[in-house]
Amino acid sequence: MIRWLARLRDIDRRWLYLATAVALAVPFVARGRIAMPPTEPFMVTRRLFDAIEACPPDKVVLIDSSWNMGSQAENEAQLECVVRHLCRRRVRFVVISVGVTELGPEFARQVIEPIAAEAGRQYGTDWVNLGYVQAGGDIKVLIEALCRDLHAVRPTDVHDTPVAQLPLMRSVRSINDAHLLFSVTYSPTADWISLVKGQFGTPVAFGCMTIMSPYYHTFIESGQLSGMLVGNWGAAEYERLTQARGKGTERIAFATYGNCAILAAILLGNLGLWAARRTRGRTR
Amino acid sequence: MRRQIVWLITFAGGLFFLLEFLLPAKAPAWLGGFDNPLTRCRRGVSDFLIVVGTMAFLLGPINLVRAHFETLRRKAAGRAESIVFLAALAVGFLAMALRETPAKRIAAAAQKVLIEGLLPGFFNSSMALLAFYLVSSAYRAFRVNGLDSGLMMGSAAIVLLAQVPLGDWMTYALPDALQLRSLAQWILMVPNTSVQRAVLIGACGGAFAAGMRQWLGIGRRE
Repeated sequence: MIRWLARLRDIDRRWLYLATAVALAVPFVARGRIAMPPTEPFMVTRRLFDAIEACPPDKVVLIDSSWNMGSQAENEAQLECVVRHLCRRRVRFVVISVGVTELGPEFARQVIEPIAAEAGRQYGTDWVNLGYVQAGGDIKVLIEALCRDLHAVRPTDVHDTPVAQLPLMRSVRSINDAHLLFSVTYSPTADWISLVKGQFGTPVAFGCMTIMSPYYHTFIESGQLSGMLVGNWGAAEYERLTQARGKGTERIAFATYGNCAILAAILLGNLGLWAARRTRGRTR
Repeated sequence: MRRQIVWLITFAGGLFFLLEFLLPAKAPAWLGGFDNPLTRCRRGVSDFLIVVGTMAFLLGPINLVRAHFETLRRKAAGRAESIVFLAALAVGFLAMALRETPAKRIAAAAQKVLIEGLLPGFFNSSMALLAFYLVSSAYRAFRVNGLDSGLMMGSAAIVLLAQVPLGDWMTYALPDALQLRSLAQWILMVPNTSVQRAVLIGACGGAFAAGMRQWLGIGRRE
């Protein structure tokens, strides 16, 4: 038995790949959702929810939606749940894609348009998509310029309509007109914190990939970050807070099976190592 | 001479931002209470930086084209990839160049094929492959060989489980402090935060030193 277990130490990687494929295929085939447990959401998710709930009617939420197919698996659900909450609360919002991917505005549009239409929110009055802004050499410079004067950085929206003609943008000129900045991307730049929060005093929240989240907990602890959605789990928790069911709740099943596959691999590797050590000890 | 000019521009740029930051927004009343004159110029300087930064974007494609042409010229390994790269670059470039000409429909179609057809597929495939590598590397790397690797593996397992509903279902009946989510939150907020800060402080010290060397031109070859 021990010798058989010792063979687990050197499993051919192709078996691991096959096991991963099977584990990730289960939610596709079963088409079942994993029920959310009756626990309090993570503090970081709750804080973002509370920040949006506290948005006064004369302010907007500025959303930096800078993701594409590379991080769609997690960022899409995050943007979806926040936009749904904003539409339900009738909070106006401005979307922009800053310096990461020129496909950002199109991906954002695909998420926002159906939700806004369903909630009866009008483009130009209740929400605006300003499109993509090239960062050039230094994203700090661009962020600062955006904070000071949105109209100067983006004179037209994604449809090439001059922003001055959009009713919403007449009351939104700088970051001071925003209640919150929500940056949703693979790994949001910390420059949002140092400039938007540090220099202009507007709260900042992030939506990031799960693997990038440990870095941002530093800013949560210091109070510089007003909330964060961590991967699909954050989106699923947010959906529970807003009593909506969306892509977060749907996709957390894939993350669950994926994480289980990783844990099983760790367990097998260590079992094999332990057994191999025992075998060596016996033969000595 | 060229180096001196580059250094002079770097020094002037650094000095501008340093003084703009250090000088108060308003001069004291006994000096006339005027606004910081550098702040007024800041926007122009920032625009200049954006323009220069955008120019730097050309360097990437130029270097890539040179490298791939070199691969083709030397008939080295990876020629097929070089051909794909150069063809995609040429099609993308032409599609952008022709979009305001009578051939704009062809240009739009070519761009659509590249950006909406091929790129998402390549991107999604490469990201999806990460899942397989992740499982394989977890199997090989997380071996408990001692206390430190044991701690690392234990923390990883707790955080992994707490980020999916399974972890909550396993422990939600336990007291708050013993629930996986509480443990994961503690790991992320206390040990993780301390380590991140330590790394950040070290990195910032390094960046400051590198910045000073660059700004003052220390260690440059004359």
